[in-house]
Amino acid sequence: MARILIRFNEEQVSEPIASQIIIEYKVPMAILSAHVNSKGGEILAEIPDSMQEQVVKAFRDRGVEVTVPKLIEVDSNKCFSCGTCIALCPVEAINFDEEGTVQFNKERCVGSTCSICVDACPARAIKSVKNGAKKS
Amino acid sequence: MFAQPSPLASRLATLSNQAKTRTVEEINEKIRKGDAQVLTAEEMKRLVESSGVEVAFKEIDVVTTGTFGAMCSSGAIVNLGHSDPPIKIDHAWINDVEVCHPGAAVDLFIGATNMSEKQPYEYGGGHIISELVAGEEVELRATAYGTDCYPRTSIKTQITKDDLNQFYLLNFRNCYQRYNCAVNSSDEIIYTYMSKLLPRIRNATFSGAGELNPLMNDPDYETMGMGTRIFLGGGKGYIIGEGTQHSPKNLNGTLMVKGDAKKMDPEFLQGAAFTKYGTSMYLGLGVPIPILNLGIAKKVAIRDSEIFTNVVDYSVPRRDRPNFGKVSYKELKSGSINVNDKKVRVSSLSSLKMAKKVCQTLKKWIDEGQFYLTAPVERLPTDTVFKPMRQTEEIPFVMSVMHPAITCTENEPIRAIAERIVTKSVNHILVVDDGGKLLGIVTSWDITRAMAEGKKALADIESRNVFTAKPDEPLEIASKRMAQHNISALPVIDIERKVLGIITSEDVSRLLGR
Repeated sequence: MARILIRFNEEQVSEPIASQIIIEYKVPMAILSAHVNSKGGEILAEIPDSMQEQVVKAFRDRGVEVTVPKLIEVDSNKCFSCGTCIALCPVEAINFDEEGTVQFNKERCVGSTCSICVDACPARAIKSVKNGAKKS
Repeated sequence: MFAQPSPLASRLATLSNQAKTRTVEEINEKIRKGDAQVLTAEEMKRLVESSGVEVAFKEIDVVTTGTFGAMCSSGAIVNLGHSDPPIKIDHAWINDVEVCHPGAAVDLFIGATNMSEKQPYEYGGGHIISELVAGEEVELRATAYGTDCYPRTSIKTQITKDDLNQFYLLNFRNCYQRYNCAVNSSDEIIYTYMSKLLPRIRNATFSGAGELNPLMNDPDYETMGMGTRIFLGGGKGYIIGEGTQHSPKNLNGTLMVKGDAKKMDPEFLQGAAFTKYGTSMYLGLGVPIPILNLGIAKKVAIRDSEIFTNVVDYSVPRRDRPNFGKVSYKELKSGSINVNDKKVRVSSLSSLKMAKKVCQTLKKWIDEGQFYLTAPVERLPTDTVFKPMRQTEEIPFVMSVMHPAITCTENEPIRAIAERIVTKSVNHILVVDDGGKLLGIVTSWDITRAMAEGKKALADIESRNVFTAKPDEPLEIASKRMAQHNISALPVIDIERKVLGIITSEDVSRLLGR
């Protein structure tokens, strides 16, 4: 499965673009997270790898910004493995390994659209990566 | 040698069979010879479980305990030396963090929770101490009023730990024996010193090392007190007495400690930031417990399943917060607990991994003969109580200004509600169900808008996302909520959302004189 981050602007958000693409390409799309209102928004979705290219193209042809999202960056030098982030994670992407070191599962993490752990880290070791730019 | 043991020898033999004690001096002698038997708290508990406490007592001389967590009541005292011309510092900042000048001229106390004026909540005293320990350079600024003996009125310079005469960690409350587990039952996220608490008890946080905590392993404080040499921030330190708020009867003992920060290690002493709360410092602290007798061996065998703490509701902004019962550290460390029969995921704020590292490092030091034990000069008190603050001025609570609310039901016509606003001369009508539970709120402005827009149904104009207050909340906090959301009234509800009354911004300004 491939993850794509679809970003709608104010005009696009009122159009049923995602539905049109799902129907047209018969693409099974799992919505992992969505933050949408009348001003626009973001949807993080999962689609089959084989369809990634044509689906991304379909969105872009309609003027919608699509990125393959970067997730969360963890500075392991700063992290002292308290684990404050663990119970906050809605997709259980963070856990302790056998030595009690905090580990991030990048496959599970839904990335910058969630970011619930970022401001809870007392060591400030977690950064949310958006558009390639860092947001602390 | 003797066919028949002499009476004296026989008595000595009996004594030594019963010699179920060892002294700190004997242990130190063994450390000197390199044959002291040292285990970490974790290893000792396993040994007691597998071989029994008698064997564990016989075999083991010292057990190392430790914790690594946010310890806000920490700080460092530094002496800068005199400038030329000399200055008697009045106000001082290090890296834009205001620090305290507790003494005569050039002594400063860097409190871990002092926050940067440029990056408040993100950078503070804890970070400065950690950077100094790491050998980094920091910027000092100071001002003074100037005297005949100390004429200088301002100074700006760069300093490292090597430039300081003294750089001591001087922590007035560390190493809490155990701590609360925190949850939030309100409808909004709250940010506390127990970190981020999601609404409606969707997560929990706890702090402390449980069965590894030094005080928990010696709950009667038999082996530790003033003068006990300890592991502090990766260096050596000393217990200098009980910490502030020491509350031994509630198993909430604390330690006051000091140690030479120049010899510490930044791995065990790190600045921290708690969103919307402030800055702090994570600190590693370890205490070696000499296994002087069988009783102490039994006590260090304590397990997480025997250590309990309360699940406390941090959404209630009062000194005495309600709690949802007890949980053990075993449950807390498992990652989830039960609160009101619901499974709640729980996170640790302190680092168990680092606490274990403290125990292991201290063990290594003793094994290598780099660390000797000390008997306390004076033991920690076991009978002090932690009193609440004496308050000579009362503050108002929501219940002191709330008054009965005017209500309506969802099926009433707008016209009837408009009439009620006029006859009762109020601006807010609360929409309730048959049981008196809050559903929404309608204001005179909503009614005016309904008239202008020709709307007929209450459902079209009422606000359903209502900010509320609780009766035992301080008025000031409720008032802040109104200002923050730019609203002029808060329905007062009980835990079941039943309407108890209403407070308005007029009530608040009348009482608080704003």
